[in-house]
Amino acid sequence: MDATNDNASKALLPAGMNDTLPPHAAYEASVVEKIMTCFGGHGYERVKPPLLEFEENLLRGPGAAMANQTFRLMDPVSQRMMGLRADITPQVARIATTRLSGAPRPLRLSYAGQILRVKGTQLRADRQFGQVGVELIGADSPVADAEIILMAASALTNLGVSNMSVDLCLPTLVPAVCRDLGLDDAMETHIRAALDGKDAAGITELGTKIGDDNATLFNNLLAATGPVADTITALDALELGRAATEALAPLKAVVSVLQADAPDLVLTADVVENRGWEYHTGVTFTFFTRGVRGELGAGGRYGTSASGGDGDGDSDNEDGIEPATGLTLFMDTLLRAIPAGDTSRRIYLPSGTPRVQGDELRAAGWVTVPALGPASGDTDDDATEAARLGCDHIMVDGKPQPLKLAD
Amino acid sequence: MNIPANEKLVLALPKGRILKEVMPLVHHVGIHPEPAFDDDSSRQLRFSTNIENVDIIRVRSFDVATFVAFGAAHLGVAGNDVLMEFDFPEIYAPLDLDIGHCRISVAEPTELVEGDDPATWSSVRVATKYPAITAKHFAARGVQAECIKLNGAMELAPTLGLCRRIVDLVSSGATLTANNLVEIEVITEVTSRLAVNRAAWKTRPAEINDWIARFRDAVETKSKAA
Repeated sequence: MDATNDNASKALLPAGMNDTLPPHAAYEASVVEKIMTCFGGHGYERVKPPLLEFEENLLRGPGAAMANQTFRLMDPVSQRMMGLRADITPQVARIATTRLSGAPRPLRLSYAGQILRVKGTQLRADRQFGQVGVELIGADSPVADAEIILMAASALTNLGVSNMSVDLCLPTLVPAVCRDLGLDDAMETHIRAALDGKDAAGITELGTKIGDDNATLFNNLLAATGPVADTITALDALELGRAATEALAPLKAVVSVLQADAPDLVLTADVVENRGWEYHTGVTFTFFTRGVRGELGAGGRYGTSASGGDGDGDSDNEDGIEPATGLTLFMDTLLRAIPAGDTSRRIYLPSGTPRVQGDELRAAGWVTVPALGPASGDTDDDATEAARLGCDHIMVDGKPQPLKLAD
Repeated sequence: MNIPANEKLVLALPKGRILKEVMPLVHHVGIHPEPAFDDDSSRQLRFSTNIENVDIIRVRSFDVATFVAFGAAHLGVAGNDVLMEFDFPEIYAPLDLDIGHCRISVAEPTELVEGDDPATWSSVRVATKYPAITAKHFAARGVQAECIKLNGAMELAPTLGLCRRIVDLVSSGATLTANNLVEIEVITEVTSRLAVNRAAWKTRPAEINDWIARFRDAVETKSKAA
C-alpha cells in the first residue's frame, strides 16, 4: 500500500506537464519529420535556436507579446536574466536579422522545437508543447502570404487532416478605421475589447460616445465575419475611409491568389479579430478543423524587430525592420486532428531466429521484437509471448505469419 | 486521440428564470424541442428538436458559458454577467437578446452607508458569486477585494457578520431592502446574450451566421411588437 502511494506520488508532474508514452511519442516525432520534410521541400531551411536567451533579446519586437508567458531564470554565469522561449518565431526573426542578416532575401527558414509557457489556456492546459513552423523573411507581397498558407494546407492535407478551414484576419483594419474616424487610443482600446468578444451590444453602447453611425459601422465589420466571399461582398458595400481601404487591400490580394491557386480550400474571414495578433502588421491566418478544439496552426505578417543592441555589430539591418510572414503548427492540437498512427507490422522473433532474418525484416520496414531467451518450448508459448508484447505477427519457419490468438 | 466531429449543432439554454423569457425567441427562430423539454418531471438533460440537426441542452447559467467555451455546445444563451465573470476568449457574444434585464451591484447595510468614505479604502471583503468581476471592479479604483465566493443567499452575509459588503445580481431590489441592504453602486447592466463558440463559428460560418440572423430577427420582431 505504502509502495503504491510512493510510486503514485513520484508520478505527479507539475501542472501542464505530460509524459508522452509509446506509441504516441514515436508517432509525434514521425509527424514532425513529415512536416519538416514538406517545408524543406519548399526551400525552407531548418534552424535550431536555443531554449534560453537573454530576456531583453527574447522579448524584443515580436517577442514582446509573450512577456507574461515566459519563464525567467538568472544566469549564474553572466548574472543576467534569461527567458525560456514561449514561442520560437521571435527567435527565428532574431536569427534572420543578426547572424543571417547577410543571407539573400527572401529568406526561408523552418524550425521544430518545444516551448514552455507560464500558464496553460482554457483550451490547452499543456504548458509545454511542440511548435513546428516556418518564417519567410524579407518579402512583402501577398504571394508570400499565400505561399505559406498553401504550403501549410498541403502539409496538413497530406497528414490526413479533413474538414480543414483557414480563417483570415486583418488586425490592421480596426486601427485604420479608428484613424479614419479620428478616434483616440483610449477609445480604440474600448472598441477592440468589445470587438474581441464580438460583443455587438457593447459596440452599440459605445455609440453614445462615438456616434451611432460609427457604432453601426463597427457592427457591420463584425457582422461581415463568415465565408470569405460573403465578407468581401459585405466589406465592399461599406463606406470605408482611405486608411481602411488601404489596410483592406492586402487581404483582398491574398484572397484572390488563394482562390486562384486553391479553389477547394475553405476560407473564412474575420476582420475584427485582434486577440493573438498583437505584433502582426497585415494578413494573419488560423487553421481550424471541424470537431477539434483549438487551432491547428496560426501565423501571419509581422515586422522583424531592429536588432540594435545585440552587440555583434555585424548587422546591416540594425535600424531596419524587415517585412516577414510565418506560420506555427501546434503539435498538441494537430495530433488530435489526424488519424492515429499505423501500429501494425510488429513481429516477434522467437529465440534462435537467425540474425540476418531480423535484418531483412527491419530493412523491409518491420518492427522486430526479439525473444531474449528460449520460451518454454512449443510455438504456442511463443505466440502467447508475442501477443503479450503487442506483436501482430510472429516469425515461423523463416516466414512472417499473422498472429492467431487461441480462443 | 481523435475526437469525433460533432456534426449536430448543440444549443445550451440556462435553467430557471431566463428560460421562460428565452423560449419565445427559440420558438420564433423555428426550434421546437421535444415534449420532454417542458415536462418538469423529466430527468432528461439533452433534447432533440423538430430540426434534425439541432439539439438543446439545459444547464445552469454559469455552465452555459463553460459548455460553449469548450465547444461542447456551439450556441448558448448566457447573461453578460456570466460572460464577464469568466471572460472566456473562446466565446463570442454577437447578439443582445434583450431579455433577462438586471444589474450587478455593490450593496451594503444601511447603517454602514453613513460615515463611510470609499476613497480611504485599501481593501474590502465582499461576498459574491462573481469574484472576478468584483476583484476587477475594485482593482480599477486601487482597492483590493478579498472575495468570499458564495453560490446564493448573498444577502445573509452582512447580517451574519461574514462580511459587510456584497456584489450580486439585482433586479427589483426587493431582496436587498428586505435584508436591510442598500444598493450603493451599479457595476454593470446585465442582459442575456447569444453566445457562440469561436471554433464553431470559424468552421461552420454559413450555418452559424444563419442562426445569428434568425435570432436577430426574433429580437427585432419582439421589440417592434412591444
